Amino acid sequence: MNNVAKHYEIIPFDFDHAGMMSSDIKRSLKQLGFNFDFIKRVSVACYEAEINIVIHSVGGYGDFRIVDNVVYLQFIDYGPGINDIELAMTPGYTTANEESRLNGFGAGMGLVNIKNSSDEMVIISDPNGTILKLKFFITEDSFDEH
Amino acid sequence: MKLETIVQKYHCTVYTPELFQPEKDITFGFCSDLMSDALMIMNTVRDENVLKNAVLITGLTTNQSIRTAEMLDISVVILVRGKVPANQVIELANESNIILIGTDLTMFNLSGALYAEGIKGITAKK
Repeated sequence: MNNVAKHYEIIPFDFDHAGMMSSDIKRSLKQLGFNFDFIKRVSVACYEAEINIVIHSVGGYGDFRIVDNVVYLQFIDYGPGINDIELAMTPGYTTANEESRLNGFGAGMGLVNIKNSSDEMVIISDPNGTILKLKFFITEDSFDEH
Repeated sequence: MKLETIVQKYHCTVYTPELFQPEKDITFGFCSDLMSDALMIMNTVRDENVLKNAVLITGLTTNQSIRTAEMLDISVVILVRGKVPANQVIELANESNIILIGTDLTMFNLSGALYAEGIKGITAKK
């Protein structure tokens, strides 16, 4: 697998452009020949993480890399951080505001869905910001049988 | 059920006529105004053909309905309750290859009608 690296700015409360990163990454993964299930897992996790920055943070960025046999997604925002990560991982728990809900988000399932979709998830947060690192391992199951 | 039959039977407006596929067979559906829930439940589907032949039924007329369908490989979004999408939403649907249609029916009534026609609901797989 050739090494790939892409960088994206994520703008807070910009619901018109939210999802552009995920859409672009999905296209890249399709071009690289990954199968439906692998692409869906990466795209959905990416989209949820991108939306989290849009609805919860003051802004940040996302990075997409493929190195050897791993797809890496990394998201960094500039705060205000997640107060209680364990609580935030509880299905249905949300601190999203009305505007987010009017845009179809804030059901309190984002982090849970990200964890379920990825092979490894690390999250570090304090009031200065949050770092979310995701890994997706590329195996023979990541491609359709030929 | 053919997409054309759905459009005729429920008096749908087709917002993306260039993409419309009258013969497209619809066998599955999911309805929600919360895209988070749509992403959560449909992310558990392992069979590509389920989502390729599914419709996302929603009252959410923003870009995020289109993005959600795109991430899940769902190619048809049906807007309910007579909501009319903004031009930028139609443009995004065209760019993302999502067939966008709308009906005056409520979410419950459209979903019930499609269910009675044999269209199955997508449920979360453990």
